[in-house]
Amino acid sequence: MKNKIEQIKKEFLDQLAKLKNIEDLRALELKYLSRKGELSEIMHGLKDLSLELKKELGELANKAKIEMQTKFTEARRVIESYGKKDDFVDVTLPGEKIANGHLNPLTLVQNDLEDLFTSLGFIIGDGPELESDYYNFTALNVPPLHPARDMQDTFYIDSKNKNGEYDLVMRTQTSSVQIRMLQKYGAPLKVIIPGRCFRNEATDARHEHTFYQCEGIVIGKDINFSNLKSLLEIVGKRLFGPDTELRMRPKFYPFVEPGNNGEYTCFLCNGKGCRVCKQTGWLEIVGAGLIHPDVLRAGGIDPEVYSGFAFGFGLTRLAMLKYGINDIRLFNSGDLKFLEQF
Amino acid sequence: MYISLNWLKDFIKIPAKLEAAEIAKKLTDHTAEVEGLIKQADQFNNIVIGQVLEVNKHPNADRLRLAVVDIKKEKLNIVCGAPNLAVGQLVPVALVGAVLPNGLEIKESEIRGEKSSGMICAEDELGIGKDHEGILVLDKGAKVGEPFAKYLKADDIILEIDNKSLSNRSDLLSHYGIARELGALFDLTLKPYEKLIDQKIKFDDQLAKLEVKIDDKEACPRYMAIKVEGIEVKESPAWLKERLIAVNQHPINNIVDLTNYVMLECGQPMHAFDAAKVKKINVRSAHQEEVLETLDEKERVLHEDDLVISDGENALAIAGIMGGKESGISEQTTSIIVEAANFKAATVRKTSQKLGLRTESSTRFEKSLDPALTEIALFRFLTLLKTICPGMVIASALTDVNSTVIATKNIEFDLNWLTKKIGQEIPRETAINILKNLGFIITDETENILQVEVPSWRASKDVTIKEDLVEEVLRIYGYNNIESRLPVEELSLPELNHERLIERKIKNILAFKYNLAEVYNYSFVGEDQLTKLNIDFFNHLKIANSLSEIHTMLRQSLVPGLVGNIKTNQAKADALGFFEFGSVFFKAPGNLKKEITGDEVLPYQEKHLGLVLAANEDNLFARLKGVVNNLLQNLLGYTVETEFSVLSTIPGWADKYQVAKIVILGKEIGVVAMLSQTAINNINLKKKVAIAEINFTTLVDLIIKSPANNFKELPKYPGVVRDLAFVVNEKILYNEIRKELLNFNPLIKEVELFDVYVGDKLAEGEKSLAWHINFQSEERTLTAEEVDVVVSELVKVLESKFAAKLRE
Repeated sequence: MKNKIEQIKKEFLDQLAKLKNIEDLRALELKYLSRKGELSEIMHGLKDLSLELKKELGELANKAKIEMQTKFTEARRVIESYGKKDDFVDVTLPGEKIANGHLNPLTLVQNDLEDLFTSLGFIIGDGPELESDYYNFTALNVPPLHPARDMQDTFYIDSKNKNGEYDLVMRTQTSSVQIRMLQKYGAPLKVIIPGRCFRNEATDARHEHTFYQCEGIVIGKDINFSNLKSLLEIVGKRLFGPDTELRMRPKFYPFVEPGNNGEYTCFLCNGKGCRVCKQTGWLEIVGAGLIHPDVLRAGGIDPEVYSGFAFGFGLTRLAMLKYGINDIRLFNSGDLKFLEQF
Repeated sequence: MYISLNWLKDFIKIPAKLEAAEIAKKLTDHTAEVEGLIKQADQFNNIVIGQVLEVNKHPNADRLRLAVVDIKKEKLNIVCGAPNLAVGQLVPVALVGAVLPNGLEIKESEIRGEKSSGMICAEDELGIGKDHEGILVLDKGAKVGEPFAKYLKADDIILEIDNKSLSNRSDLLSHYGIARELGALFDLTLKPYEKLIDQKIKFDDQLAKLEVKIDDKEACPRYMAIKVEGIEVKESPAWLKERLIAVNQHPINNIVDLTNYVMLECGQPMHAFDAAKVKKINVRSAHQEEVLETLDEKERVLHEDDLVISDGENALAIAGIMGGKESGISEQTTSIIVEAANFKAATVRKTSQKLGLRTESSTRFEKSLDPALTEIALFRFLTLLKTICPGMVIASALTDVNSTVIATKNIEFDLNWLTKKIGQEIPRETAINILKNLGFIITDETENILQVEVPSWRASKDVTIKEDLVEEVLRIYGYNNIESRLPVEELSLPELNHERLIERKIKNILAFKYNLAEVYNYSFVGEDQLTKLNIDFFNHLKIANSLSEIHTMLRQSLVPGLVGNIKTNQAKADALGFFEFGSVFFKAPGNLKKEITGDEVLPYQEKHLGLVLAANEDNLFARLKGVVNNLLQNLLGYTVETEFSVLSTIPGWADKYQVAKIVILGKEIGVVAMLSQTAINNINLKKKVAIAEINFTTLVDLIIKSPANNFKELPKYPGVVRDLAFVVNEKILYNEIRKELLNFNPLIKEVELFDVYVGDKLAEGEKSLAWHINFQSEERTLTAEEVDVVVSELVKVLESKFAAKLRE
């Protein structure tokens, strides 16, 4: 009898271990654990035995039953869990694919600049891309035959003035809008003019005949060099981070006096020196200076009363630096693989 | 421009502690950008002095020999082909690892089976001469094992200065000029140039005068010349050659080298003619098509706006650019005429550009030279000539045709005003010192007003107004030493740029609601591109100097660019969508003036917005119209409906049937169409393409002027919606029926098309338009009966007007 109990238990546990589905599980339960199951039969048979034997075997049978029940419940839980597939979720699956459009990186950088300067109270100005030779050059102290006017640098429009000269150009710089802004708004004035410019040069990864600049002008009664420096400093901090420093050097632009360039701490290497900053730790980003009295006068502003400064950023260059774009032609390529990254 | 530090030491005493790098930095920070520092010794890295110990035959080659060379720390086996190789010679040895000036890298090698560990060099291989007859044999003073650079005394350091940053400083295009600037930057004493001129040279007015005639005194304000006999043309002395080589100039012969030397030293280009070939001198305009063979042995064809030096008949030289071959210095030359002249910057520049001939001389004249330099240069030339040609004799009177007006330039300079411009006070003494060190003369000073006289070398173009003096003081003081202070000003309300704000809003809607990608296309288009799109290009503005034939004209529409975007990307996705904001250009007069004065205006320019969708789907046209309508509603209010109406003039690129003008608030603002099949074939597109182009300038106007979208009170009574479908001839326009429905009865508040059916349930040439018609009263709840009455009247009217049948 004792052996019988052990044998039933062993049989049960062996079969239980092999079970794979819920149906077999039920059959097993019926065979061994139900009221008419093998174990119950044994227990029924106990009543004819001696008291001592009854007690001993009863305890044994009960223990076996509890063990079998426990194992059975465990097995059922396992089988049921993989039986019910719908409960399991692969949470690592991707979400539904939502299509998206893209803004050109030049737009993104221009928006950043516009937001920065409007927060400082600047107007956003506009000017024509097809400009007169006068506003692009002459009025900015670039007289005829000045090196900056080289045919190879400027796109001229095939239409001549009364003197038989080409007098229309695709603007070579947003500075061409300086005098138009002075005429339109007068003084005092704070304005930036972002926009498209053109240079007549062959294109390659670093050169493009169509590019973007952002010009800025500040005019007031007491505007001075210290103000210019300070403004360029806070612009650098906003664009490249709070630890950005500004370094200025003299640079000649015919429409400012004094004139300077501005270099910022290279934000890619934090000034340690890298490939992009040619190991100098500095990036040349801006050209600036106090506006030349000739330019103020041309814009109808008395240089003895007012003074001002002007600055210009290479917007395309900023975008290249910000996003690490290594080929300037991509901006105008319309290549979806490029646009999709922004 | 290359500047030799050793050469600078002729004029200023550079303290031993002052490193070249610091000089470079100072110049960069205060004057002009130094792009590089070249240590002369670097080009002789890994080249040492060796002594030939043995010379043996090469077993496998008759012309080669095997040398054993002692370089002190070891003995090297070197295969050498030079005929002059001999035991005991002291020679330059390029060790393994050396890179010679011609780029040759020395490696361990085997030559015809014999190992060679280095190379014994000839003069030309070291870049210090032209000789290649044999190896360079050094004199007895050479020390075995010592670097060759040390033997050569190649201890010079060369500053490479960015020419562009000197464009307004003609005074810096010379060693003396840079020395003067360094004097101001480091507070060093500058040797006066007169000290470099032999005061004993005598000019004799009694000698024969050179015949010099200047036709155009504006083009040639000053011309100095003198004849010198007893000239022996030969190789320059070592010191002269070394200096020229150091700054990247090739020595030619002693006379030519000396003219170059003086130019590099003081900035004045000079020219020497063979006096035997020059009877007299006439500075004149070239004749039309006059031909001159220049020193570089090229024939130059000249024109009337070019200036030449002639002998009265033939051109001898192109003024300020290059001399002619015929009258140049040759080995037979025994007497010379030396010229030091001043030519007008613009003339030299124009000719140099036209001929594509830029020389050391022309780059200097282009920047407006100080006319006083001619004299200094000529005297310095004669001083040095005497040392290298001791037999020289001055053989003419000194000629100086000078029409320059020596008017000293004085600027009144207010130090208080200086403080105001800088925003910080520069100590009076500092400011005065800076100006003095730069050569400015303070002729008078009261409390805060200085009278500043501009030195001649800064007066030619560079310094003319008080603002220029601000720069002088400020840059030497140091831009980086100025404190930063933001301007303090009254608050004011900046004007809004509506166009910019609307543009930005539209960009966001197009990108993030309709999933279009923003492109920036070129402003230029080409004939082929327009022809394929059947766009007439005769009226386009043209570029006078275009770079390529794909970019010869200015665009009048964004369509060509957008079609190009589809072409570029068609293989990348099934459905594509792009948009662009951009300017377009027309020949018609615009509204911006060309100049401050006068009435002339710029060509008309406006901004357009273009949209393009491409896919192989049938409903592209409807989808794009939907995008346009929804976009305009986002901008103008959701109650505004876009009207698409029939276009009278169809753009060449558009499909004849699927094309409409876009009208909003009664104003035509653009066109929407499918791209024609012809264009699709021409361009080889694989998808259908729908395009919309909107005049953004007009749209902005409309948006600014349109009143705010007024709230309509919500209806108090329930409305009744009836769905009615009318069958009409397919040519009856939606717009016509819609107008009729809306205007039919005041109870009809809104109508909306919800289905269009064409098919076998209808007769050929018929379509069914199904409408939700919304009846609404502001006074009462409508009854079914009164709506029925209106509907039956409506059906009758539509039947009579459009032959419309109500579809059951």
